[in-house]
Amino acid sequence: MSYKVKIDNFEGPFDLLCYLIESAEMNIYDIRVSQITTQYLSYIDEMRLRDPALGGEFMVLAATLIELKSKMLLPRSGPAGDRDEDDPRNELVMKLLEYRKFKSAAAFLSEREERAGFLFEKPGEDMQTYTNDRDEYLRMDPERFARAFRSFLSGKQRVEEMRNIYERTERQRETVESRISLITGMFALKKTRKLGFYEFLKAQNDRFEKVLTFIALLEMIRGRAVTVKQRGSFAEITVELCGGKEMSLYAKQE
Amino acid sequence: MPNRNSIKSAFESMMFVWGEPLDVKTAAEVVNIDKKTAYEYFKELKQEYNDGERGLAVRETDGAFQFVTRAENFDYLQRLCTPVKEKRLSQAALEVLAIIAYRQPVTKGEIDVIRGVKCERVVEGLMRKGLVEETGRSSAIGRPVLYGTTRNFLRQFDLESLRDLPDIDDIEDAIHESAPDESPDGAEQITFLK
Repeated sequence: MSYKVKIDNFEGPFDLLCYLIESAEMNIYDIRVSQITTQYLSYIDEMRLRDPALGGEFMVLAATLIELKSKMLLPRSGPAGDRDEDDPRNELVMKLLEYRKFKSAAAFLSEREERAGFLFEKPGEDMQTYTNDRDEYLRMDPERFARAFRSFLSGKQRVEEMRNIYERTERQRETVESRISLITGMFALKKTRKLGFYEFLKAQNDRFEKVLTFIALLEMIRGRAVTVKQRGSFAEITVELCGGKEMSLYAKQE
Repeated sequence: MPNRNSIKSAFESMMFVWGEPLDVKTAAEVVNIDKKTAYEYFKELKQEYNDGERGLAVRETDGAFQFVTRAENFDYLQRLCTPVKEKRLSQAALEVLAIIAYRQPVTKGEIDVIRGVKCERVVEGLMRKGLVEETGRSSAIGRPVLYGTTRNFLRQFDLESLRDLPDIDDIEDAIHESAPDESPDGAEQITFLK
């Protein structure tokens, strides 16, 4: 016969299997593997429709059942008397029995938990009113208090220092693009098309600033916005503005 | 040396103030008697309270005693102060807890094998609730952590000690005897109907 039952959340593959065996009023020592396997598979099919992420554990037991089913088809060796010992179902039955014990133990605990819920206990008394120790913090010796305060101050100072560093890194977020527009701006300001490389570095003490200017210039050379000339090693580098549409390109970017 | 009754009276006051389960050892040290005698006195107190028609009962948990209210008065207390009912444990949590209670010290791997499902998250939840704790490491490969139940577990399930747990091999009969016509879900009833 077939009937539709509500599919509960089974706690795991064994839970489902136990339920199926009980529902079919099957003897756990004599599981009709073929029937139970079919039922089990249709259950997990349906469960997967609801929950596509159904645990792989259910699949593992499905595989075990199918393997068992095929083993049951094979004639067993040995005399008939030994049949019980090499029954391929034995291992599964042992596991199910074991699981069922703990399921019952869980039911026992659940009942205890409910009963214990009818009892109330109370927290320990707050004895401070009686112990005269309420103002304990005021009895601290001044030296310790001063030390605590000093360590608080130095802690605060450290935070302050950290904050300075942090703010500096913020400032250094300046980009190559913004530096390029700064450089073109310098040309415009001085109303010239030629400037020495060191002119750009004059106001910049920071290594980061210098590197940024250098990279900005390299970028401008690549974009053919400027040309550079140098007479010899370590000599002054002259930067000359090319003019034309490439410059407006950078202006737009900015 | 104070007599039996005055010591018992002292224990009563101490339990009242302490609230939490009061260790026999702690109480014995306070009144300066040996632990065994103190335990005997506590047992007597427990007997007296639980036999009489008092609204308080003495509960024993793992060799510690505390006052609790009588279960019969639950309804009245609920009407008086509508206490927040603590959320009951899920079926999965109860199963894992049962395995730990019976098999302790036990590893997660051993629990997984019995239930056929990973128990990692459930064990974490039980630890957060203070029902189980790490009790050491197994000498097996990988030295997995061993878990056991806590005193809080005993208290929350109203067990005097782990010996109060029914024998695991008889447990199915014990459960079926205590609740013969209880069916946990509608699905089971269908089998009766067919």
